[in-house]
Amino acid sequence: MVEITHKPFPEITAQTQPFWQAAKQGELLVQSCEQCGTKEFFPRPWCVECGGRKLRWVKASGKGTVYAHSTASVVMMNYPGWKDDLPMTLAIVELDEGTRLYARIVNAEPDEVSIDMTVEVDFESIGDDIMVPVFKPVRS
Amino acid sequence: MRGAVSIAGVGRTKYSRMKDGEVARTVDEYIAWAASLALADAGLSKNDLDGQGLAVAHAEAGHTVNWSASVAETLGITPKALIRGDQGGASATSMMIRAAAMIECGIVDRVLVVGADTPLSIPSIAPGLPLSPERVRGPYWDFQGPFGVMGPTAQFGLVLNRYRHQFSLTDTQLAKIAVTTRFHASLHDGAIYKTPMAEQDYLDSRMLSSPMRLFDCVPIVNGGMAFVVASTKSARAMKQPPVSLLGFGEISNYYRGSRTQPDITYTGFVESAPQAFDMAGVSHSDIDLFQPYDDFPFIVAMQIEDCGFCEKGMAGQFVENHDLRFNGDFPVSTDGGQLSGGQPGGAVGGFAPVLESVLQLRGQADHRQVPDAQFAVAIGFGGLPYGRPGRSCITAIMGREQ
Repeated sequence: MVEITHKPFPEITAQTQPFWQAAKQGELLVQSCEQCGTKEFFPRPWCVECGGRKLRWVKASGKGTVYAHSTASVVMMNYPGWKDDLPMTLAIVELDEGTRLYARIVNAEPDEVSIDMTVEVDFESIGDDIMVPVFKPVRS
Repeated sequence: MRGAVSIAGVGRTKYSRMKDGEVARTVDEYIAWAASLALADAGLSKNDLDGQGLAVAHAEAGHTVNWSASVAETLGITPKALIRGDQGGASATSMMIRAAAMIECGIVDRVLVVGADTPLSIPSIAPGLPLSPERVRGPYWDFQGPFGVMGPTAQFGLVLNRYRHQFSLTDTQLAKIAVTTRFHASLHDGAIYKTPMAEQDYLDSRMLSSPMRLFDCVPIVNGGMAFVVASTKSARAMKQPPVSLLGFGEISNYYRGSRTQPDITYTGFVESAPQAFDMAGVSHSDIDLFQPYDDFPFIVAMQIEDCGFCEKGMAGQFVENHDLRFNGDFPVSTDGGQLSGGQPGGAVGGFAPVLESVLQLRGQADHRQVPDAQFAVAIGFGGLPYGRPGRSCITAIMGREQ
C-alpha cells in the first residue's frame, strides 16, 4: 500500500457540497430545519428534533465558546499528515446558533485554552483545495 | 423475564498480540475456537444449534456483509433464529437480551452468542487506522477525520475535560482503577498485561490526548469469546450450574437535556440501570461484583455513578473509598478487564463482562474468586456518537441459581 503522508479529505456529496464550497470562501454554514428552526451539525438527513426533511444550509455567525478541549500529542486513528501540527488542540465548540462541532483551536497555546472561552471561526487548508473550520480565541 | 434464561456455557480463546512467530489465525478460526469452547463448557455440540439460535457480533475483519448468516454457513449451522450484534462494546449484552426474548417467546430454546475479531491483522490505510467503514469513510468520518479528531482517545478526552469542569475526578482516583485492573490481570491466565502497575506508573505514562494517557488505553488483540444462552429449565439439565439473567435495561443514543446541546457528562446508564435493577428486584447493595466495559478508567467511573452506585459526580470519591479488588468491598473488573486483559476488537470486548460474571457466580474464578458471589452487574457500552460518550448503554444483572 502506498504510504499516506497527507491529511484525510472528506468525500464531498451533493448534500454537503454547499458546506465545503462556503468553507473555501471563509464562511461557516450549519444545517437549519425549515420546519422548526433547529440548527444541527454534522449534517443529517432529517431534523433530529422534528424529523422534517426540509433542511437548508444557513450562514453561522462564526462565534461560539469552547465546551470542551483536548490536546493531542500523537496522531491516533487519523492520517499521518497531522504530524507537523502536533501538539494540536481539538475542541467541541458550541456555536451561538445552538449547535456544536469538533474543530481545532488555533492561535493559542494548549494551556491558554479554557472552557467557556469565546472563539470565532477561521479556515485552514488541509490540502487538496479543502478548507476546514478552525477557531481562534477572541481577544478583547 | 426475571431468571427465565441462563448462561449455560462460556468460552474465551487465547488472545494474540501478533508478536513475531505467532500464528496468524483468521477471524473465522477464532469464531470456531470460541464457539467450541462455549459449547463444550455447556456439554453441547454444534449440531445442538440446528433449529435453534445463533448470534454473531460484527467484526472489522468481517469479510461478508451479511456477517451473521455467513458465520452460520462457515460453521455449518442451520439456526432458526439469527441475531446480529452491531453495537460495538454493547454487542454481547445486546445479543444476550435478544436471545433471552426469543427463548422466552418460545421461538428457540438456546442461542450460541459468539464474537471474534482480528483487528491487528486487517489492512490499514495508515498506521493504526483500519480500512473499514466509519473509520475512514461516511459522513461520520468526513466531519471528524478532516477536522483533526484523533479517534476515541481524543473524543473521550474531551468528555473527561468537560466532566472535570462540572465535577471532580482526579488522576489518582483514575490510577486506582487502572492499578486494580492490572492486579486482577496478574491473577488471570487469559489476560495480556500482567506486569504489576503502581500508581506512579500510571501517572508517569505519557499523555496522548489530554487528559488521556497511555495507561488509559486498552491493548488491542486478536481473539474471540462466546457464551450459550438457554432457558433456565434446559440449562439446569446441562453440564454447568446455570447463571441466570435476572434483569436488563438498555438505551441507545441517549441525550441528557436537549438533542443539540446535551450535557455530555451523563451516559444512558442513568436510564438502563434502573430498568435492570427494577426487573431483577435487587438493590445496589446486593451486588457482589461490577464488570464494567472498561475501555478507559474514566468510563468505568462514569458507569459506576450512572448505574447508581453513588451520586452523580461522586464516582472518584467512591473509587477512593472502596476496595475494588476481588476480595474487597466493591470488586471491579476481576478478570483484568480490557485495560489489562485486552480488547479483541471493538465489538468483542463486551463479551468479557458477561463471561467473568458467569465464572465468578459459578465459583470458578480461581485465584480471583469473589467470596460468595451471588449477584453481578455486566455492562455493555458501544459506539461513539459525535460529541457525546457512548451510543448504546446496556446494564445486565446476573445471579447464581439458588
